[in-house]
Amino acid sequence: MRYKEYNPNRVLEQSVRLFWKKGFNGCSVNDIVEVTGVNRFSLYHEFENKEGILYRSILLYRERYCNDNLEILNEKGDLESILTKFYLAFLEKEDLVPGCYFIHIGTELADTDERVKQAVDQYLGEIEDLMGNLLLAHDFEKADAQYLAGHLTALYCTVMSFCLVHNREERLDYISNGIKVILHSYA
Amino acid sequence: MPKTLDNSYEELVEKAQEIFWLKGYKGVSVKGLSNHLNVSQSVIYNKYTKDLLFLASLDYYTSTYSDPFLKNLRESEHGIESLRLFFYAVIEALLDKTFPKSCLMVNTVVELRDENQDVVRRYDDYLEALKMSYIVVLEKAYDLGQIIHKQRIERYADFILGIIFSLSVLYKIKPMDDLKKFVDGQLAFLK
Repeated sequence: MRYKEYNPNRVLEQSVRLFWKKGFNGCSVNDIVEVTGVNRFSLYHEFENKEGILYRSILLYRERYCNDNLEILNEKGDLESILTKFYLAFLEKEDLVPGCYFIHIGTELADTDERVKQAVDQYLGEIEDLMGNLLLAHDFEKADAQYLAGHLTALYCTVMSFCLVHNREERLDYISNGIKVILHSYA
Repeated sequence: MPKTLDNSYEELVEKAQEIFWLKGYKGVSVKGLSNHLNVSQSVIYNKYTKDLLFLASLDYYTSTYSDPFLKNLRESEHGIESLRLFFYAVIEALLDKTFPKSCLMVNTVVELRDENQDVVRRYDDYLEALKMSYIVVLEKAYDLGQIIHKQRIERYADFILGIIFSLSVLYKIKPMDDLKKFVDGQLAFLK
């Protein structure tokens, strides 16, 4: 029997970076072969096709890169500081493209690929739930917490697209303004 | 047959813009562009170049889709209500595919970031024009008594600048009613 000579997670890790950099439609299976050094036959055997690599790469991204960031929303302390820290964590992750892979892939594919759409929707739902709990912990009424969590999640979508082209100061300003407008906390 | 001679440059740009809007800059190969425009690859390499056609596509997009939209917005009379109708129109254009895929400028920001200074200059100008238009309408909203805090108008304009970015993702996963409620909510934050 043949043993796998490569680690599928390593292939997925490299694919996340490749799809993020070139877009899913901007790269071919040949590009993946070139970057990973794994031949086409083995890739198809493990992942079926290019879409298969994409779906598994999204799962890998969620498991490997999002947990620590989402955990920030469970921290105790000043509400605006926690939210700011959360948004910035995605933009300032070392050794990875700034931003969010879900938003990047979603912007490209969520209107044409049902599984991508569901993955993005589910991920944003997770963020919204965590935001809601954070607001409850800061004494917001339940209905307000849910409502505002939706808008803070939309702010996440904006930050992960708009703020990609900002420098640090502009980002901080945009994020802080967004939080203040949504939470009515302008003095 | 030398088809290039039959096409004016404007027509080529208009067609190029269609495919860039749909597939993004990196999603369009010179081969794909050549097929879509019905001109040979060597003509694209030697005469037009993919990069110049892309930049011209961004200009075409601004002058065709965005400028008239914003002019109407600036001339509107009803402050927050005018903004609401503006965003509703954006949502409808996204969902009925008048805009085939989000806003081309937003897509470009996400896809190319700051890789190319000519591109950066174009989206900077675009966002500035958008913000200035929002400010004009928010000042009207203040005159109408819909907004109390005049000194926050610029900050509010920055805030709602984000709406086309969030909509560009959200329209792909949420139904129209949710999107309109989202816009209503965003505008209700402006006091």
